[in-house]
Amino acid sequence: MSRRLSFLRFSILAAIGVGLVFAQAPQPQGGSTTLVVSGDIATPLMLKAEDLATMPREKVSIPDQDGTVVEYDGVPLIEILKRAGAPVGNQLRGKALATYILARAHDGYEVVFTLGELDASFGNEKILVADKRDGKPLFGYQGPFRLVCPGDKAGARSVRMLETLEIVRLQK
Amino acid sequence: MRTGLISALLLIAVASQWADSAEPDKNGDYQWNLPKGFPKPYVPADNPMTAAKVELGKYLFYDTRMSVNGKASCATCHKQELAFTDGRAVGLGATGESHSRGAMSLVNVAWNAALTWSNPEMKNLEKQALVPMFGDHPVELGLREGDGFLPMLRADTKYRALFERAFPEDADRFTIVNVTRAIASFERSIVSARSPYDRYHYDRDDSAISNSAKRGEILFFDQRLSCFRCHGGFNFTDSTVSERNSERQIEFHNTGLYNLPGLLSYPAPNVGIYEFTKTPADIGKFKAPTLRNIALTAPYMHDGSITTLEGVLDHYAAGGRGHDNPNKDPLIGGFVLSQQDRDDLIAFLKSLTDQMVIRDPRFANPWPQTN
Repeated sequence: MSRRLSFLRFSILAAIGVGLVFAQAPQPQGGSTTLVVSGDIATPLMLKAEDLATMPREKVSIPDQDGTVVEYDGVPLIEILKRAGAPVGNQLRGKALATYILARAHDGYEVVFTLGELDASFGNEKILVADKRDGKPLFGYQGPFRLVCPGDKAGARSVRMLETLEIVRLQK
Repeated sequence: MRTGLISALLLIAVASQWADSAEPDKNGDYQWNLPKGFPKPYVPADNPMTAAKVELGKYLFYDTRMSVNGKASCATCHKQELAFTDGRAVGLGATGESHSRGAMSLVNVAWNAALTWSNPEMKNLEKQALVPMFGDHPVELGLREGDGFLPMLRADTKYRALFERAFPEDADRFTIVNVTRAIASFERSIVSARSPYDRYHYDRDDSAISNSAKRGEILFFDQRLSCFRCHGGFNFTDSTVSERNSERQIEFHNTGLYNLPGLLSYPAPNVGIYEFTKTPADIGKFKAPTLRNIALTAPYMHDGSITTLEGVLDHYAAGGRGHDNPNKDPLIGGFVLSQQDRDDLIAFLKSLTDQMVIRDPRFANPWPQTN
């Protein structure tokens, strides 16, 4: 009986010990913990998860491969562009319409969105810069930030490990 | 030593929970009880899953009387402890004849869009079962129409009961069609869904895999390596179908494994799906198999010509062993890996090993050892 108790005690301590080892080691992250917004804008930004937490947030639900609904939580891309001083709303006309956003991931993967397709007066596409999935921070190869494009049929523009948003005005 | 014991106890506890929850129900409707992330598999309408068919299929799968000389069964080339492969470069039939390709894993075969290395039309497990049973080139099990196999089933007390439960409405239950339906049902039931990686990824259990494996996962999904492009999705292959998505364009890939002089560039008879399509651009194109339990399924590639996971990394890092093959997939461009990268990728691949599926009694040989 006492042997059993000491084994149980040892088991609990060992489990806690193993948990602590993993808990103390820094978790490998896919992308940087800072999202850089740069390019032809008035206010370049360096955003962290805590910054995104204070901005207007939205949730989008999309079906996963098993049919279950996955909920992503984050900041609409257009809100980040507004904060960076990109020409949106009334300012989005004439030459400003020749502006695009280059989204770049940690591994060098890049996709492009135009301001026109994001702005409410034009395409009004809801693209989200997500930092949570089903209420939990994105981790591993998905995070800490990713784009979610619920209107896209294919997933290739939903950039994982998002690190940089570069705004490029083709006509100034 | 004690930590090992604790791990083993934890494994057994988790395994029993999973085994209980996935038990086929007694009414005949099979309960998949799939965890998060796993879609319901596609099952042909003419062979719905039932617990009784799965049970019968298991007995047939492990029965050496299904071969011409009583020396081989399905399990000869699909051993549970090796994630239902055989550890050989190429399969070996009951009469000693070699197959030209390696035995593919049957784990999660229910989601496979294509079942073999290089036949784009072989999509149905019931139909595929006929190949090892009756195929001549090569002989695998070596059965012949009109031989003693069906009479044996009919005469066996155990099989009489199993067939009655599996096919209660059939006037003649002892048919080859019913044999293949039962075997296919058993094969579909072999599900691996809770490897350490699954516990990390789906259950958010950070302690399930090492930081090295976590770094390896990030590399695996890195654009530079692009492993995920052919081995993506929940089953780590691009050859996946499910109940909701049963029709899918199946991709086959030439990875630049060979670049021999002459038209074929790959050693015959293993010329890829060209064997069936006769389209020259298809020479050397093979299926990208699941990477689940990949650490258990050496040797690798369709002909077992790479013996270790490290060797596989070398092949892809070099942009293919026969890297100038004209049909090579553009994704196989080569990359540079540090030793740390290599260790991390191997750790990630090993985290896909599901200890439960290779020990689960539901998939084990039901016959007494003497059979």
